[in-house]
Order: sequence, then C-alpha cells, then structure tokens
Amino acid sequence: MKKKFGAVIMASIMACTVTAGLAFSTGCGPKKAEFVMPDGGFDTETPVTITFYHTMGQNNRPILQRHLDKFKEVYPNITVKEEAIGGYDDVRDQITKEIISGDEPNLAYCYPDHVALFNQSGAVQPLNDFLKDSGYNDMKVTRKDGTTESLCLTEEETNAFIKGYYDEGFKFGDGSTMYTMPFSKSTEVLYYNKTFFETNNLKVPTTWDEMEETCKKIKEIAPQSTPLGYDSEANWFITMCEQLGSPYTSATGNKYLFDNEENREFVQRFKGWYDKGYFTTQGLNDNKYTSNLFKVQASYMSIGSSAGAKNQSPDRVDGEYPFEIGITSIPQVNPAKPKVISQGPSVCIFKKNNPQEVLASWLLVKYLTTNVDFQAQFSDASGYVPVVTTVLENEIYKKYLAEANGFGNVTYLAAKVCMEQEAAYYTSPAFVGSSKARDEVGALMQAVFVGKDLNETFKAAIEECEYFAG
Amino acid sequence: MDSKKKNQWKAWLYLLPALIILAIFTVWPIINTLRMAFLKDYNELGLIGGQKFEFGFDNFVNVTKYRGFVNCLGNTMILCLVTVPISTMLALIIAVALNSIKFIRRTMQTIFFLPYVTNSIAIGMVFMAMFSMVKGYAGQEGSIGIINTIIEAFGGTRINWVNPNSSKAANMAVLIIYIVWNALPFKILVLLGGLQSVNKQYYEAAKVDGTSRIRTFWRITVPLLSPMIAYVVITSFIGGFKEYTSIVGIFGENMGPIGSKNVLNTMVGYIYQSLDNNQGRASAAALILFAIIFAVTMVNMYVSKKKVHY
Amino acid sequence: MTDNINDIDEKVTPEQPATEAVKSAESYVMKKKDMNAVSKKQIAMKIAVQTGLYLFLGIMALAVLFPFYWMLISSLKTYAEYSETVPTLWPRQFEWSNYATAFTGELNLGRLFLNTCIVGIVSTILSLVVTVLSAYAFARLEFKGKNALFAAMMATMMIPGELFTITNFVTVSNFGWKNTFTVLIVPFLVSIFYIYLLRQNFMQIPNELYLAAKVDGTSDLKYLWKVMVPLAAPTLISITILKMMGAWNSYVWPRLVANDAAHKLITLGLRQASWPVEGLEGVEGAINYPAQMAAVVLVTIPLLLVFIFFRKYIMKGVSRSGIKG
Repeated sequence: MKKKFGAVIMASIMACTVTAGLAFSTGCGPKKAEFVMPDGGFDTETPVTITFYHTMGQNNRPILQRHLDKFKEVYPNITVKEEAIGGYDDVRDQITKEIISGDEPNLAYCYPDHVALFNQSGAVQPLNDFLKDSGYNDMKVTRKDGTTESLCLTEEETNAFIKGYYDEGFKFGDGSTMYTMPFSKSTEVLYYNKTFFETNNLKVPTTWDEMEETCKKIKEIAPQSTPLGYDSEANWFITMCEQLGSPYTSATGNKYLFDNEENREFVQRFKGWYDKGYFTTQGLNDNKYTSNLFKVQASYMSIGSSAGAKNQSPDRVDGEYPFEIGITSIPQVNPAKPKVISQGPSVCIFKKNNPQEVLASWLLVKYLTTNVDFQAQFSDASGYVPVVTTVLENEIYKKYLAEANGFGNVTYLAAKVCMEQEAAYYTSPAFVGSSKARDEVGALMQAVFVGKDLNETFKAAIEECEYFAG
Repeated sequence: MDSKKKNQWKAWLYLLPALIILAIFTVWPIINTLRMAFLKDYNELGLIGGQKFEFGFDNFVNVTKYRGFVNCLGNTMILCLVTVPISTMLALIIAVALNSIKFIRRTMQTIFFLPYVTNSIAIGMVFMAMFSMVKGYAGQEGSIGIINTIIEAFGGTRINWVNPNSSKAANMAVLIIYIVWNALPFKILVLLGGLQSVNKQYYEAAKVDGTSRIRTFWRITVPLLSPMIAYVVITSFIGGFKEYTSIVGIFGENMGPIGSKNVLNTMVGYIYQSLDNNQGRASAAALILFAIIFAVTMVNMYVSKKKVHY
Repeated sequence: MTDNINDIDEKVTPEQPATEAVKSAESYVMKKKDMNAVSKKQIAMKIAVQTGLYLFLGIMALAVLFPFYWMLISSLKTYAEYSETVPTLWPRQFEWSNYATAFTGELNLGRLFLNTCIVGIVSTILSLVVTVLSAYAFARLEFKGKNALFAAMMATMMIPGELFTITNFVTVSNFGWKNTFTVLIVPFLVSIFYIYLLRQNFMQIPNELYLAAKVDGTSDLKYLWKVMVPLAAPTLISITILKMMGAWNSYVWPRLVANDAAHKLITLGLRQASWPVEGLEGVEGAINYPAQMAAVVLVTIPLLLVFIFFRKYIMKGVSRSGIKG
C-alpha cells in the first residue's frame, strides 16, 4: 500500500513531464505557415511589431536607429525592435536555437551559409513574391503621407542594385529562389604603403608572381619587416581556388573538393613564402588584425576587408600622417580574369504565421536597401560599400568620394576600389556545412604554415568536413 | 502506523518543489537525450523541416569512429589521470603545512582560497599571457613570456608552451598547471577541514613514539583523512571528465594552439561543438561520457570502500 | 544545466567530516602530560621545520597570487604599454581611467551588477528553501523509496549538464520565459549536490534532539526552522555563497535565454561588450584589454569581499561537525 503510494506519485510526476515535454516539443510546433499574399496586401492600420537582429556597433547603430524613426513616420503601425547580437556567428547561433523553439526574429543579418543552415527547417521566407515580375506588381502600399509605393521591387529599383550583390540572393539550391537581399558589402583589397613604395621605386604587385618578387625586394630593403599581412587565411585559400579555377566545394554531390594537386601546390608555395618571412596572417599574428603591423610600418602591404580601411590608417604624429596609403585590387593569377571575394552582410526574412509581419519585414528591407540616404550614411559610418549604384549620385556621397585620399580619408578610397571591381566578385556555394569547409581550409593554411605535413593536413581537413556532413 | 503513513505524504510534500523542477529540467532532458542519441544524425532544424531520422546505433558508431572524438577522449583521460593525483597530493601537503603553522595561518588560508572565487575563462587568458611567446618579426627578438623569462633566469632553456607548432606535451603541461591551480582551493579547504577535526591524540602518540614526520604523514594523516581524500578524488574525477572552460580560457574556442585546432579538445568540448548541428551525435557522445564517468566513479567508490578508514 | 552547475560541481563545499569534536577535550589532557622539558635539538629541529614550512607555503602562495597580480597590473596599463611585446612587470604610469572606461562605456556595469544581484539573491533564497525541505525529507522523514529516489538523484549528478541545454532551451521558450529573470532562476533552483550536502549535515544532528522535540509536540516544520536550520547555518552560508557565485559566473545559459539589456548578467555583459580603443573606435579586433581587465577586476572584487567577509563561516562549516561547540 505504502509502496504503491510513493511509486504512484513518482510515476505520475514523470509521466506528466514526459507528456508535457513531448507536447511542447512537437505539439505547438515551431513550424510556420507558408506565406500567402493577403488580399488587401499590407494592412497599414493594425499595429505590427517586427524584430531585426544585426551586429552593428556604436558607430553605425545610431544611423539605423535614425532611419527606423523615419520608417516609423512612413508606416506608423510598424514597430521595429532592433537588437545587436554580438558577431555574425552569434546571430547565427542564436537564430538556430530560436527556430527550434519557434521564436526566431522577423529579419536578420546573414551570410549565405547561415541561410542554408536555417533553411534545413524551411524557416526562411523566399522573396520571389516581392520581386519585380512576381505577379503582385500592381500591389501598392499607402504611406502615412498619402503617397504610395509599390510593394514589390520596381524595375528601376532592381536595376539600381549592383548586379553581383543582388544575384547572391539566388545562390541556393537550384538558383531559382531568392532568400536574401544585400545589405552592405565589402571585398578584400590590397593596402600598400605608398610612400615606401615610391621611395624605393617598387611596383605595386598585380599578380602573385609579382607579389613574391615585391616581398623579396622589401625583405632586402627592410629585413626586419614582414612585407605582407593577409588577414584571412580562409579567404586566401578560397580566392586562390577561384582564381585558379580549381575545385573548392560544390553545393551538390561530393561537397568537399578542395583536396587536389593545384590547391596543395599553392599552399606549399605560400608555405615557402612564410618560411622566408614574407607574410603573416591574422591567425598566425596572435589573432590580431594584420593592419596593426601595417600601421606601424612593420609591414608594407596588407590584404584585408575594404570595410576595415580605417584600421589601416596610421596614427598621426604631430598632426601629420607618417605615410600615405595606396589601395588597389588584390593580386590575381590572371589579371584579365580577376576574382575577388564578396563579403558583408545580407538580410533574410523569416516566415511567420501572420503574413502582415512578413510584409512589414519586407517593407523595411526594401526601405533600408533602396534608400539612398541610408545606404550613403551607413557606408560612411561603417566603411562598407552601398549595394545600390544610385548612391553614387548622392551629392554628399559624391563629395566624400571626391575627397578620398591616402592620408586621412582612406575609407572612400577603399570604397572606390571596391566599386570599380564590381565584375570580379564571386561567392562560393552555400550549403549546410559550407562554413565548415571555410573553417577547415583556414585552419589548414595555418597548420601547413607552422609546419604540419601538407598531405596529412589536407586529408584531415577533408575528413573533418565529411564527418560533419554525416 | 498512522503517523508513519502521515509521514509518507508529508515527505513527498517536502520534496514536491524539488521533484517538479527536477522532472522538467533534468529528467525530461535525460529522456530526450536518449531519444536523440538513437536517431541517426538527429537535428532539431531538420525535424522542423520534416526530415525523418533512422533509429539505430549509427550515432554511437560514427562518433567512436571519428578521429577527433577519440582524441577528445584521450585528452580528457590524460587530464584526469594527471591532474587529480597532482592536485590532491599538493593540496594535502599544503593543508598539512597550513595545519602545522600558527603565524599568518589565516592570511595563508585566505590566499590559497582565492582561485576559488574567479572566473575560469578570464584567469585562463591570464595564464595564456604568462606562457605565451610573442614572435619577433624577421629575426627580431620577441618577448618570450614571463614564465620562460623565469625559467631562463634559473638557467633552463625556454620552451614553446602555447604558440604555433608547440608540442602537445607542452600544451598539456600548461593546462595541467592551470587546472591544478584552479582545483587547489577546494581540495585544501576540504582536507584542512578534515585535518582540524582529526583527533590530536594520534599525533601525540606518534610524537611520543618518535615516529618521523614523513612516516606520521603516511601512517596517520593519510589514513585518517581517507574519507575526505576519497571525496575529493571522486568529485574531481567527475569535474575532470567535464573539463572544458579551462581549455577555452587558455586556447580559446580553437581548443588548441594556432594551426592545431581541436588538438586539446575534450569530451564536453566535442559535445558543445556538435550541439548546434547534430544533436543526435552530441547526445550519443554525452551518453558515452556519462558511461565513462559512471564506471570511474564506481571503481573509485569500490576502492575507497576498501581503503577508507573511519 | 550548462555552466551554473558545472561551476558548482567543481567548486563544491565538502561534507562535514564524521569525526567528533568531543574527543579533542581528551587530547588536551594528554598534551598536558607530555609537557615535559624539550631538548635544544628538538627546538632547533622545530625551527628548521617551521622555516621550511613557511618557505614552501610562501612559494605556493606566490604561485597562487601571480595571475591576480597580472590581472591587476594589466588593468592599470595604458593600451600602448599593454600591447608591447615585452610585458612590463609594473605599469609605468597608473592609468586609472581604465576603470572609468569600464563604467562609462557601452557596458552598463551598474545595470549588470543590479541584474546579477537580483538573480543571485532571489535564486539563493528560493534555492535554500527547496534544498532545506528536500534535505530534511531525506534526512529525517521515513518514506518508501527514499533510498532509491536519493540514489537516482545522485546518479543524475554524473550526467554532463551541457546535454540538458538544447532540451531546456526549447522548454523555457515554450513556457514563454525568455528574457525574464525567471528563466535565469528556476531551472537552477534544485541542486542535488546541495541537497546531499545538507542531508549529510542534518543527519549528524543527533536523533535524540528530534525525538525530544517530538515528545514536546513540536511540529516538524517548527523543529526544522528552530533547530535544524540554525545548526546547519554554516552549510547554508556556504550554499548561499556558491549560489551567488553561480549567478556571478554563469555565461552559456544566460547568453541563450536572457540576452536583453534588462536581464543581462555580468559575465555575459563583460564578454559581449566591445572595448573600443580610443582612436580606433568601431574597429573590429582592436580591443581595449586594459579596460576589459579593469572591468574583470571590478567584477572579481565583490566576490573576494564576500569571501573575505564570510570566510569564518565557510571555515567553520568545514572544520566543525554539525553541533556547535
């Protein structure tokens, strides 16, 4: 009798929680309904709140906030809650977990591989309904001031986007569905110490062979220096694959293709450079940006993000800049067919049961990506380049660009170089596990440079990726 | 009889708050873990997307076949087997020493307790800084780090502790020093507490007999402290198998020196890393970890039952 | 779950030793008998041994203190001095402004302290109540399945808490607890370890006291409150301190479930804050380590103060058995 009493209580508590738990994890279901365009389009009356995750810091967040206030004036029923969540990976990790519990944000900063990851659950909203030929072209949204705008991107708006950036949104699956919109972009550029180059009559390298030659010369002139700093080993590897046309990854079939003779060859070649002290990387430089070396003239060339131009700028000594910075494209294998990586955040929208939230999110994305003022100001504050060419007609931005110089105003110099190589942008395929490949090739470069066996390291990296892929 | 029956429900009433919370936040996760461990490559995102998962032992097979996991297992074992005896022994000696002094004893006790009240990640970074060699550029002599400076001052040769291409043995040595540093306060506290309640008669008797200090230590102190020693050993084995933050503190999420990602990864590190994309394998790994901890604890209990003198 | 329990598992307070303090009285008698003349040789020996002991303890103490010293001097260096390749052993000049930066930056240290205190205090109080009740049931009350239940609970201590994270995250989200204090408090209320600790403590309180109370007609709850709790005070204080430290150090779980400014806890805030270097604002990778170290010092100090203030109780709790002498 007594025995049963205790056992019954125990059993019932257990049973309750288990069933409760099961109900919670499967019952309500975090899966969101598919978006169906409401008959009236966007409802400008009913209040709707949307959440926006990003990684903006002190510099650019106020600009976003300022424009959100303006957006609120245009659509008073939309309340936007913007949240700064650490770095890009933090945003990814947070959203991954939130999708599981069903409370992901409405829109977020993203990289293509994050979207591939999220989309295992089908949580990301396709944007095709909002593009220029979607079939909802005639749908209008009335602003507060009585004017209207098209819900979908107009022909004109679409054409304003830098094509390479816009097309990135389709780099998923069969390429027919758009999942992301470009938000602000950057690429890698080569910063060089123009003063030093001119004094020593050095040629700015345009190919990797010339780069080797230049490093050698710098080493002779300044044996104490590390001629080149390359921030991202992973970018270096992937860009080399792209420039050489050698396999890296594929979104379908055998995904990890980077273990091949050509790739081993260039890694081995750079290892030789490293041994001669020609370069360092961020990872090898104690995870400090190599711009730290460039600034103090411990290195004379630096390959890093165009958005980080500010970091390359040396501190003024007695009000004077100690040297002038030159900015140009990174070296190429074949300068006739240049390839540079496309970086910087895009935004994606998440599915929600309430279609009005999706529409409100879309209106915000449209507002932020096509608004010339926002794009110009954001570019100014962050160093990222605008995603729409119309910004170039903006008077203020024009003035900024005109004032660019290699001393105090390098940001626009970088932006210029960045925009000039529009045609050279590439992005690698995004799939679940593409970021794993990126991590692994970065680690691989580091490992070989510090002396690990080349073949063994390649093999291990592939093994890692394949274990990850399952 | 009646009061006993009354006691029954009263006891359950007293336990109710704890049981409810445990059921939700401990029991259910355990059950869910079992479920996930047996579903091949189970992941929540895929589940939401309508993916189906095969039932079976695949997760266990895949995990144990994976080189990275075997490495984690090895590291965890080494860390446990080295740090537990060292820290226990050192703590015992310090406790005995503390127990044999009077002047500034309290100050000393306070000092030895300080690592107890720290954040292991923050202090881990400090250890990294102390052991790290800063590479000089192109032939320039860089900083060799404070520890190497000390070693050379005593006529030793510098060691590459944590920098790229450092040996795993050197990395492990740093980790072990840090873990021991971190583990000392708790152990000293327990053992000193034990020492202070040991009957002084035994020592008086030993003194009268003229027994040497070392002999006294092994013949009297250790046996008398055996319950505390057993307790300390068991808890630190359990803690040791869950080692994670100390490695993150020193080497960062890379779990190894630059160029040697995950070389020093542990079981818990592995579980964390696979938690995001493959909860099935993470669960399988956690169950394996649990089985190991369980087995080691059972062995510990068995040994201490034989050896502990009350 | 996640780090709260981990931290605690590693940093536990021990059970009370089973030896009785009563016997010490006898030893004093013994001592007196042996108080005969001590030879010079013995005195010399004693001095040598004592010197050795102090030397050994001194060296060990230095080893223990060194990282703290490093943290402190780093917090007082200028950014330029900190980033030098050869570390200086003492700041050339004290850069106190690092501490001001720690307070005035985007890191809202005051708010973080407040949040952490709220979570720490509330969770400590609730946790003590739950723990005392459970420990009492296990120590004093008789019920069927007691040993089995206790063993089962002890067994769960061996399960790596990291594993609970994913499931618990889903659970609390479904409860709608995200970004609340509740989510930081409730899942951690029950620590089996504390229950175990307190049960051991309670069990050392002689049964006679309980029986006497029963004869007097004292209710269980009153007995628990009036007799057991005061007797176990040192253990309860230890639990309180550990619990507060848990709130102070937890990182992984708060990062997942309470990442908003209104509920952010201190370690999380510390790690998330960007530490811009003057002149390099907005630059990723340029981290003002001295200011960060200053904040770490500020976060560590309260813990140290609490420890120094309550040290007596902790030591007492450890060194004495249940009955106050």
